[in-house]
Amino acid sequence: MQNGHNMQPILEARNLTKHFTAGNALSKQVVRAVENASLQLYPGRVTALVGESGSGKSTIARMLVRMYEPTSGELIYHGRNCLLEKGRRELLSYRSQVQMIFQDPFSSLNPVRRVRDVLERPLHIHGKARRGKVREQIYELLHRVSLTPVEEFADKYPHQLSGGQRQRVAIARALAVEPKVILADEPVSMLDVSIRMGILNLMAKLRDDEGIAFLYVTHDIASARYFADETLVMYAGRIVEGSTSEELIQDPKHPYTQLLLSSVPDPAKGLRTGAARADKGEVPDLAAVGNGCPFAPRCPHVMDICRQAMPPVTPLNDDRWVRCYLYEPVPEAVAARN
Amino acid sequence: MTTQTVERARAYDTTRALLKVSNLEVEYWTRRGVVRAVDGVSFEIYPNEVFGLAGESGCGKSTIAHAITRLLKPPAYIVGGEATFDGADILRMDEDKLRGFRWEHIAIVFQSAMNSLNPVLSIREQITDVIQMHRQVSKKEATERARELLQVVGIDPSRINSYPHQLSGGMRQRVVIAIALALNPELIIMDEPTTALDVVVQKQIIDEIRELKERFGFSILFITHDLSLLVEFSDRIGIMYAGEIIETAPSREVFTNPKHPYTQRLMNSFPTISGPRQALLGIPGSPPDLITPPTGCRFHPRCPVMIQGLCPQVHPELMAVSASHRAACHLVAEEAADYAKRA
Repeated sequence: MQNGHNMQPILEARNLTKHFTAGNALSKQVVRAVENASLQLYPGRVTALVGESGSGKSTIARMLVRMYEPTSGELIYHGRNCLLEKGRRELLSYRSQVQMIFQDPFSSLNPVRRVRDVLERPLHIHGKARRGKVREQIYELLHRVSLTPVEEFADKYPHQLSGGQRQRVAIARALAVEPKVILADEPVSMLDVSIRMGILNLMAKLRDDEGIAFLYVTHDIASARYFADETLVMYAGRIVEGSTSEELIQDPKHPYTQLLLSSVPDPAKGLRTGAARADKGEVPDLAAVGNGCPFAPRCPHVMDICRQAMPPVTPLNDDRWVRCYLYEPVPEAVAARN
Repeated sequence: MTTQTVERARAYDTTRALLKVSNLEVEYWTRRGVVRAVDGVSFEIYPNEVFGLAGESGCGKSTIAHAITRLLKPPAYIVGGEATFDGADILRMDEDKLRGFRWEHIAIVFQSAMNSLNPVLSIREQITDVIQMHRQVSKKEATERARELLQVVGIDPSRINSYPHQLSGGMRQRVVIAIALALNPELIIMDEPTTALDVVVQKQIIDEIRELKERFGFSILFITHDLSLLVEFSDRIGIMYAGEIIETAPSREVFTNPKHPYTQRLMNSFPTISGPRQALLGIPGSPPDLITPPTGCRFHPRCPVMIQGLCPQVHPELMAVSASHRAACHLVAEEAADYAKRA
């Protein structure tokens, strides 16, 4: 959980936990959606959060944007624990720094509003509208997301736009409040293949040119390799491994990451069978996960200790860590540095 | 040009096709106008082959699956073309014959099929229903067969009395595959069979389907928008754009040596987990509205190598550039002519 690039995180989650209570008064069940998640987002860097459906990755994003109140943990923005600041004004100010983009550009835009209205609203709400300049501000936003000619796009309604164009409007809307952090929850998974790269490339440009910090929530680890500087892997509510994206793909450490990567179709390698064959296990019920490693029931390397307690974070080098007993004990040289 | 194409296609068509689709045309008659969802599509599927059909949403790939099983519902209508299965004319079969034909010869696993199981019937009832509808067997024999089928798709037969909600998504999808296998069909159409599943479960199911195919020797029409999966799993691929098949070739060749500019761009549109990490461009623009498709080549408004005066006016036919590779692009005309001379 360190970084080799000597930067202060702009947004940091420390041991964020979210429990949902399910069932009725007679049989209450606690669903441990996210357990002790820690991550850092840095200016000008993309961090990917990769996991399968129900792994808790969207819940983390929703806690980071303060849509969900964490059960416990801290959320540090610019050095301040902002979970303690609960007032409407503080929340508004937080949201003008930390914006979210959703998966479905078809439902996230109001169908009866023109693009110019969609973009004008946040300018007023967050006090970013400049007197007599609003039209130029809108055109500039459209220009930044490459929806040109801008005059033409400003007058369109969402139904007149393709999925990719709508997602660009959603990005422009997020940019309207001049955020420092953008949380993108599966921003391309509903788009056609030919459109996806345009959106990821646009976000990469915003990262590089404007220094925006991104959290990229996705189930597609290949796209994380493409877009994210760093990748975190989630399994059943826990972040189990963190690494620079390329290193993670080349040399996955956690047995779950290994299983995940061996399951991803890879046209460049041609047919491979049997990789995931031994694994018949399925993701555990989050209400039934015990105190041990949630992957233990499926893990080919499982040991007794794995069922008893969640492994601690083991740093492997400056850019990598893993939560797995296979990598314990901590090499002394690394431990000394931490 | 059309007659030439037919000539070449015949030269290529040396083995016996199990399914042969020729010039299939399907229209949706909507209030906004007539949508030509499938426009003159031809392809064949050979015994024991996985033929993959790929394209962006709305390109017509699922409509083809529904058309060749005669499951299209108004406002969709087949307005032209032929589809024959082992010589039998599917498009002109009466309802009676069709009922016997589906499941017996062509089985179907549709998108989100795992949600298509009847929630109030047990797994046993759902499998035995299909068997007893088509075969004169006792309930006991049908149940025995159902147990076998569950075993085959990797589900413990002791779960035969489970209801769908008691099974995970992956297991439900296996049940649907078991039902498809029930009558030993020669062709199984799989339309996005693993789209709703996580990647680990997807891998398990794809591996299983592959083994079942080797064991029972059926063919698969595999439809997906996931190009990585398509290339990995298919023997041969047809790439669709705006209602037409614009390229067909063995899957390795589609990935490593695509001929059509759309395929070339498409294969450079998705990141993979191996190989160099390089800039990927995607394709500017969006697929066209099929009520008023572009004139000439339908891809010309998005094409980076469009030829003025030709592509916007003249519609390119599918031309063979080798025994197994066809593309519908004016740029391959020369290569196709060379091949025609040699062949």
